Amino acid sequence: MGEQKLYQASANWLKSAVDALCAAGIEVLAPTQSESGKVDLARVTSSEQVIQSYPNTAFPLKRLFLPMSEVLLEYEKGEEGDVELGPKSAPAKELVILGCRPCDAAALEMLDKVFQWDYSDVPYQEKRDRTTVVSLACSEPSPECFCTSVGGSPQGSEQSDVLVFGGANSAALMQINTAKGEKFIERLADTVTPAPEGTKLPEPTELEQKFDPQKVKGWLDENFESNFWVENSLGCLGCGTCSYLCPTCHCFDIVDEASWNRGQRRRNWDCCSFALFTLHASGHNPRPDQAARYRQRLMHKFKVFPERFGRVACVGCGRCLKNCAVGQNLLADLADIESR
Amino acid sequence: MATKNTSTADQALIPLDYKPSKMRIERITEETSDTKTFRLNFCDADEAQRFEFRAGQFGLYSVFGAGEATFCIASSPTRKEYIECSVKRMGKVTAELHQCNEGDIIGFRGPYGNSFPMEQMEGKNLLFIGGGIGLAPLRSLIWNCLDLREQFAEMTILYGARTEADLVYKEELKTWQQMQDVRTAYTVDPGGETPEWKGEVGFVPQILEKMKPSPKNTIVITCGPPIMIKFVLVSLTGLDFSLESAYTTLENRMKCGVGKCGRCNVGNQYVCKDGPVFRCSDLQNLPQEF
Repeated sequence: MGEQKLYQASANWLKSAVDALCAAGIEVLAPTQSESGKVDLARVTSSEQVIQSYPNTAFPLKRLFLPMSEVLLEYEKGEEGDVELGPKSAPAKELVILGCRPCDAAALEMLDKVFQWDYSDVPYQEKRDRTTVVSLACSEPSPECFCTSVGGSPQGSEQSDVLVFGGANSAALMQINTAKGEKFIERLADTVTPAPEGTKLPEPTELEQKFDPQKVKGWLDENFESNFWVENSLGCLGCGTCSYLCPTCHCFDIVDEASWNRGQRRRNWDCCSFALFTLHASGHNPRPDQAARYRQRLMHKFKVFPERFGRVACVGCGRCLKNCAVGQNLLADLADIESR
Repeated sequence: MATKNTSTADQALIPLDYKPSKMRIERITEETSDTKTFRLNFCDADEAQRFEFRAGQFGLYSVFGAGEATFCIASSPTRKEYIECSVKRMGKVTAELHQCNEGDIIGFRGPYGNSFPMEQMEGKNLLFIGGGIGLAPLRSLIWNCLDLREQFAEMTILYGARTEADLVYKEELKTWQQMQDVRTAYTVDPGGETPEWKGEVGFVPQILEKMKPSPKNTIVITCGPPIMIKFVLVSLTGLDFSLESAYTTLENRMKCGVGKCGRCNVGNQYVCKDGPVFRCSDLQNLPQEF
């Protein structure tokens, strides 16, 4: 930690940053609250729209880099049977994300691994390159949080260009991690000052480890065939909420949407819980029931991903258990596996 | 079997924007009542010049407005002027493809995936076992080997379909049969023959057992319906073949073709990146989920 550059700012840092960036014409995403009380990152043009105190946003960062639906290609069929392909790519505009949580930033690490695997996914990488991520360390984790069980921390700085401690009710301390982070600090001008030498980061927020992913993997290695998969998926509706809200789930479909002689090829979110996900044209389905699909979800996150990319594809944000319509609980299932 | 990520930070990544190459349909051959072979040319001369692939690799073919679908490249990499794909009419994209005419433009992304082990096959006897439309990837390899015939020892082709009418590449089957240095056996399922049928009658594994090929110095490449492959492997084991020298191709539903869309994996193996060609002995160690 000794090498890291630290800056300090007032408790009001978030609002100052929004104003400074907006004044410079930079696109800003910051935490806002809807009338129904939902907190989410949204495009803001003034600091008045921004809130400073919240547990976490409703949606993870994923959709900013892998949108729910995204145009990959536009085509137009000509008179002579020729086909024109577009669109021409437009220069990417700078974007700053303010106030996401460390778990959601850390999830970008997993997405990067997939989208930079031998082939660089251009639509994803363009958005990654133009974006600066300024995360806000957690001082009060939610009851469903379990980042410390999957290698994360309420103060983890992974994939955060800047990690901010404090704020809201106390002075803010900013840890600069990347060149993008330095540029961000420059833009804030005199609202930030270098922290005095010897300034220490706050003590890590305590969050009990709720399971051991190594032990979970050990069981998964041996139990592709197990009643566990049936028993624990009986309630699953296959609605996909868990993966749509998951910061690391990245499965997608590619479909054409035609309108007479022109149309688009789109990339849409997809989900391994859906029955059609792996259905072959022949009618054969390698994952024919919900148990097989639930097994894929868990295996992919806690066995396949560690084997291929060296870590689990879960950051412990808890959205899947908090939002499941029928109370499926990943955390309870992992604890169950660990106890076997 | 690869269990590790093949990429490292030092390796140059290939940019992928999902935009297909435009290809013109040069020729359409009706193989059966529901299968056609499309011969395709790149519209862009530079792309045609740059394009290279190995037998076994696949691509994503698209009809603009209908979407993309995955098929192997069914022509040989030694025939550089074109690529071919054989398509059975099954779903939305394949139905649209079947509506296309010669001269129409379609999209192609690829080649993706691994390929048949040409280097290991050198100097060996080759036994090709195909069923139905599964002959398509084998055809790429068979012509590839025939064009480099002196590199291989004996070549044997065993091919079967449900009925005579379901046999694909009928003209090429005749050509292979007439070659002096290729042994062929063609079969149809019982009841699938006409009075004029001169080939075998019986399921592919039965004919294989009847042929009694020697496992010595032989590499087997098999492709066809899963049920056929299952029993072919049983027959091969009975004939003392090692499944370490037998290869097959897996097909799973795919969207991206490059390990990102997350659906074609069998255990930790991605059919699109670690396959589609797999050693049969390695398949036995994977979860039986394909």
